[in-house]
Amino acid sequence: MKITYLAAAVVGVAVLAAACTPGKKAAKPTEKPTSAISTDIASAGKVTLSVWDQEVRGGQNAEITQLNKEFMAKYPNVTIKRNSKSFTNLKDTLKLALSGQNPPDVVEANQGYPDMGAFVKAGFLQPLDSYAQKYSWRSRYPKTLLDLNSFGSNGTAFGSGTLYGISQTGEIVGIYYNKQKLSQLGIKPPTTWADFEAALGKIKTAGQLPIAFGNKDQWPAIHEFGVLQGQLAGKDAVRNLVFGKSGATWDSAQNTQAATLLQTWARNGYLSPGTNGLGYDQAAADFGKGTGVFLITGTWEVADLQKTMSSNLGFMLPPPASAGGSPVTTGGQGLAWSITARSKHADVAAAYLDFITNAHAADVMTQTGNLPAMRPASAQPPAGTALADIFAAWKTVSDADGEVPYLDYTTPSFYDTLTANLQKLLGGKQSPKSFLGTLQHDYSDFQKTKK
Amino acid sequence: MVVTDRATLGRPTRPRVARSSRKRRRRSLIAYLYILPALAVYGVFLLFPLGRSVWISLFHWDGLTLATWAGFSNYVDIFSDGSLRSAFEHALILIVFYSVLPVCLALLLTMSLSRGRIRGRTFFRTVFFLPQVIAMVVVATAWSAIYSPDGVLNKFLDAIGLHVLTRPWLGDFSWALPAVGLIGTWVEVGLCVVLFMAGIQKIPIERYEAARIDGCGALRELLAVTVPGLRGEIAVALTLTVVAALRNFDLVYITTHGGPGTSTTVPAFEVYHRAFETNQVGSACAIGVTLAVLIFLITLVITRIAERGEA
Amino acid sequence: MISRTERVANYVILCLFAVIAVFPIFGIITSAISAPGDATGGFSLPHSVHWANFSDAWSQGHFGTYMRNSLIISAVVVVAGTIFATMAGFAFGTMDFAGGAVLFYLFLLGLMVPEEAYVVPLFYDLRDAGITDTYWALILPQIAQSVSFGVFWMRTYFRSAPPSIIEAARMDGASSWTTLWRVLVPPARPAIVTMMVLIFMWTWNEFLLALVMIPTNESRRTIPLGLAFFQGQHSSDFALLAAGSVVIAAPVVLVYVFLQRHFIAGMLSGSIKE
Repeated sequence: MKITYLAAAVVGVAVLAAACTPGKKAAKPTEKPTSAISTDIASAGKVTLSVWDQEVRGGQNAEITQLNKEFMAKYPNVTIKRNSKSFTNLKDTLKLALSGQNPPDVVEANQGYPDMGAFVKAGFLQPLDSYAQKYSWRSRYPKTLLDLNSFGSNGTAFGSGTLYGISQTGEIVGIYYNKQKLSQLGIKPPTTWADFEAALGKIKTAGQLPIAFGNKDQWPAIHEFGVLQGQLAGKDAVRNLVFGKSGATWDSAQNTQAATLLQTWARNGYLSPGTNGLGYDQAAADFGKGTGVFLITGTWEVADLQKTMSSNLGFMLPPPASAGGSPVTTGGQGLAWSITARSKHADVAAAYLDFITNAHAADVMTQTGNLPAMRPASAQPPAGTALADIFAAWKTVSDADGEVPYLDYTTPSFYDTLTANLQKLLGGKQSPKSFLGTLQHDYSDFQKTKK
Repeated sequence: MVVTDRATLGRPTRPRVARSSRKRRRRSLIAYLYILPALAVYGVFLLFPLGRSVWISLFHWDGLTLATWAGFSNYVDIFSDGSLRSAFEHALILIVFYSVLPVCLALLLTMSLSRGRIRGRTFFRTVFFLPQVIAMVVVATAWSAIYSPDGVLNKFLDAIGLHVLTRPWLGDFSWALPAVGLIGTWVEVGLCVVLFMAGIQKIPIERYEAARIDGCGALRELLAVTVPGLRGEIAVALTLTVVAALRNFDLVYITTHGGPGTSTTVPAFEVYHRAFETNQVGSACAIGVTLAVLIFLITLVITRIAERGEA
Repeated sequence: MISRTERVANYVILCLFAVIAVFPIFGIITSAISAPGDATGGFSLPHSVHWANFSDAWSQGHFGTYMRNSLIISAVVVVAGTIFATMAGFAFGTMDFAGGAVLFYLFLLGLMVPEEAYVVPLFYDLRDAGITDTYWALILPQIAQSVSFGVFWMRTYFRSAPPSIIEAARMDGASSWTTLWRVLVPPARPAIVTMMVLIFMWTWNEFLLALVMIPTNESRRTIPLGLAFFQGQHSSDFALLAAGSVVIAAPVVLVYVFLQRHFIAGMLSGSIKE
């Protein structure tokens, strides 16, 4: 092997490619005034609207399919080209899509710093304030929900400022339960947190699996931990952390307690065995078939679970410390539907956003077993179903202002840090103390860059 | 490449007839024209981006906005950042499964195939080699199913009364990496067998006869005759499989996505993960370049060792 | 020659490993024809043959489109790669010219450099050139990868061609172009076929490039990528996944069974490509 030749070749190649600094200055998308917005979609000419969503599960898919069909029937000149992927796949490819030559017109973006923040910073998303005014979106949603879809100062301040998306579905994490199994074991649906923990022990002693939980996909544990943290640390502590209020720290006694509890659950066999190797969808499907008494996850699963379990399925909020106390849980709304800055059909896209979030859309969502982010009076789910439980829970938690944001919003790298370390925590590879230490490290690094 | 390379490059060039320099220049021109299409595509779509990679690795870049100069800090991170360092450590562990284990198993199989008359030799060779031609995506899909909590492996262990050993193989912190590695073993054994079968035919039969007269058993024969005789093939096998181990992206991406935790991340996966998932493009390029250098060095070392042994 | 016990032991070892080599493949095939509910990671024999999985994969998984894309891309890469590599290999193998050695080492570099080392800038550059999400973004880089092996392979072959043939052709007044295609290539057919089957296999099975270069345009996705995304959406529907896997693996396996000699010859030559 003639190393000198190869070395010469390598050097030559390196010289060849020395160019200027990679990357481009961020674009600054501007907004046209409300008066310039056209809502006359029928005369917009032939338009193909490219839409990227992550509504792949049964009920969600049915809802979007129907609304898309209706939209195209209403405006025959518009064709919707839909591209739906699982949440993880969407997360992986959206960045490339948005920075590419032909970005889609409408995308579902995950809120918080890792995704939406990065996109806003790079100028990929269309500010929606004018559209919000034109279509009165601000009266359609409570302010807390809109704030989660907003960023100030070009993507560096999460939780207020310019609106960059609106959500379609409401979303809270809660506890699904198998009614039949609970009554067989002689347990009443718990009304306090202590009851709930006692129930878990009782189920385990009876030789059953207390909580079905698959975490191979890594993100599901965010919700598990989020629920525990919400109970033990309280909503203000969590909100302060996610929104980066000064003085907030991950290294607190309450957070340690939450992490310890999660690890104890895993160690005691309260969670599905081999939880890190079990797929999230698989665990949910198993729960539907009777493995596990509880399933702690989001409302997005209800349509599919109800299909297999029908009236045997129940849903409740994580029970508060004392009966009748004010509820806290992770959630708020589904991913934000946003318009890309380079879309040539922003007006059509906005009309589409409006269409899939209006009162009629809410009815369609209800009929297909989904929870609309803004609850209309017209359609109600049949009483006694889990969906009815969910509608009630949603109202309770909204009225009590008990929603805490998803933890992965916290910093640009938090999704990664949190998911990888939660797996370690669950696998017993990391103590609660060092788990929170790692989170705090990521957190304080980011807070420093903000100053 | 190692062996053939030496054979061809080392050959003396044909005696040249003295030509006028103009004629020579004309011939050179013709040669360049023949090379041009290949070189153009190769230069633009492989060499150029390779050079760019070296350049970008000197920046902090999120892939979205303007980059900032980083100097060598992305390279320093490879040694100082625990998660990156462990990615490289995982790659080294995978080498055991991708290279060492297949070479040992292949020696055993080669011995079984070549000692005495074995019927269906071609059949066995075809079957052993089969995993090599199947797309990694398919391999990963099949093995994910085998390793899944209710998969074949756990069912098998249950059936033979070893329930204590059952586990979610790809979700277990201690077992996920070996589980991924064993898929590599499964893929690479066939390549080694085929290489060794080709090589063993070149070992003079007298050496085996001499060994037998000396009363060597199968093991002694293996160590005294087969392994030295296959030195060249073993070097090629090691090179090919080590490179395969270091380039392991598809398998990790599909089976574990680096999890659980970060227990199965490897450099090739980190390149993708950082470039396209966590907005650290500069760091991704630095890892890619380091990986290329590492492959180059390992190849060089294996070749050198094989050559020295022969001389 | 060897004892009876050893012979039996040899057969046992060989059969055991043959079973291990085939088992996952066999499991995929049986799952692919099982009823969707029956197919799990447990790999059991199907109760009844259920061909519908293939048509379901075809329609739900868009495998028809992906198959077409893979075929188009593989065909162009194989043809262009073969022609370019043959021409360059001819020059390197039969002509002396200034800088020849350096250029040849430059090509060899491509055999050793992993894709991961250049795929990131390649993506950004091709995106700025506006060709990501098109066939070209997969075709051109894969031609580049193929020629680095092809040049090496064809050079070796042409070096071994007897100089007398080339000399004789020149005496007859044949141009180098005619010499290459009329005189040298016909007897080189086995070597060229070997190169073609390898390029075909690499292109057909390619994953990372396909994942990166086609970020948005689903209608340009290749079949291995289709399966990976399909896995994300239908992770609990193993029968469909298995059917998709069979569709991907079948063409290469068929080529392998019929042209085994070529596969093995080529891979033994020491290609470093995976």
